[in-house]
Amino acid sequence: MSDPTLGHSFLAAAGELGMCSAAWLFARTLGDDGGPAMVAEARDQLGRDFPVFDAVCARYLAGEREPRVDPTPVRAALAGVDRVLVIGVETTFLDAAVAALDCEIGLLTYGELEVDWPRVLANYGGRVAPCELPAFQRYAGSRGALLTFLYGAQAAVAHVDPAWLRVVAGDVRTQFRELIGWEVLGGEMYVYPRWLVQAPLVDFSWVIR
Amino acid sequence: MTAAPPEFGRHVRSSEITSFIDRAGIEALLEPWLPAAADRAFVTRCMLGEGPAHHRGANYVLLRLLGELAARVAPAPAVAPDQVPVPIRLPPHVPRPADRDYPLALPRRVVARLAPDAPTQAAMLDCVTDGPPQHALANAAMLCLLDAMLVATDAPR
Repeated sequence: MSDPTLGHSFLAAAGELGMCSAAWLFARTLGDDGGPAMVAEARDQLGRDFPVFDAVCARYLAGEREPRVDPTPVRAALAGVDRVLVIGVETTFLDAAVAALDCEIGLLTYGELEVDWPRVLANYGGRVAPCELPAFQRYAGSRGALLTFLYGAQAAVAHVDPAWLRVVAGDVRTQFRELIGWEVLGGEMYVYPRWLVQAPLVDFSWVIR
Repeated sequence: MTAAPPEFGRHVRSSEITSFIDRAGIEALLEPWLPAAADRAFVTRCMLGEGPAHHRGANYVLLRLLGELAARVAPAPAVAPDQVPVPIRLPPHVPRPADRDYPLALPRRVVARLAPDAPTQAAMLDCVTDGPPQHALANAAMLCLLDAMLVATDAPR
């Protein structure tokens, strides 16, 4: 299998679902269609371009069939918080968080991929509000929080959506009660993690693995 | 006469500046003023986990020593009834949320000891609550401890 359109399809899906959520969708679909050999082939073809897809395929080939999604610790970290702004898209995880949380939820409509934000937000029926980059501090306060997704958190660092770095500077960290990183990949990446940037874990008040 | 060459390496290593900070110790001493654990963690992070490293270390040293003294002088501190909030610094275009202040406030009465008149008191309060949160919150925490010790050692009336 060498499908030149697969990368374009994955990129479009990753923009609206998130790299990890899209990767699991693609891995399962490919696996259902052509078995592990097709997943391995797709990994070999696209892994360098999409390192999260590469890592997810590795997990699929190791026998896993879906990501571990448990919003319970996120709910605990947000106890007493009135509003949380989510930075980065991972719909599989955001869906679970939306179902588990009772606070106000916003989604930063900024990213490096092309995203049809109204379409993404329509999935949440008004439960998740859009927030443009210049307005992110509307969520600040002693009962405000920021949440982003971590990809392969190690002992001291993790990879994150670059949007996190556009938001979380030294002055901003003291404007929010909680700075939450939620691990979605469940393991380190094998190839260079393009599309993502490294962030120190000390920048987070909670690291949920 | 030639100038002496600059000396380098006289400071402690960067990795050692904050190695002595024990956040739990500071969180514990703030408990009378911040009963909620999440509030204590937030304020302690702002004082000891953000900003230039040497300020973090300085905040820790001063708070810890004041806390030791307060534990001897005022082991059961009374929280002052009139509290002055420490505002979260946000850009002016951002609507002010209801929770626009940090959970830690400072006791007005401790500043009133120095400035009974309102304008001077307002000026002093402005000085201690303005600036980076790392400073403003450490100021507030120190004033809480100082207030507790001063109240505990006031001559009985």
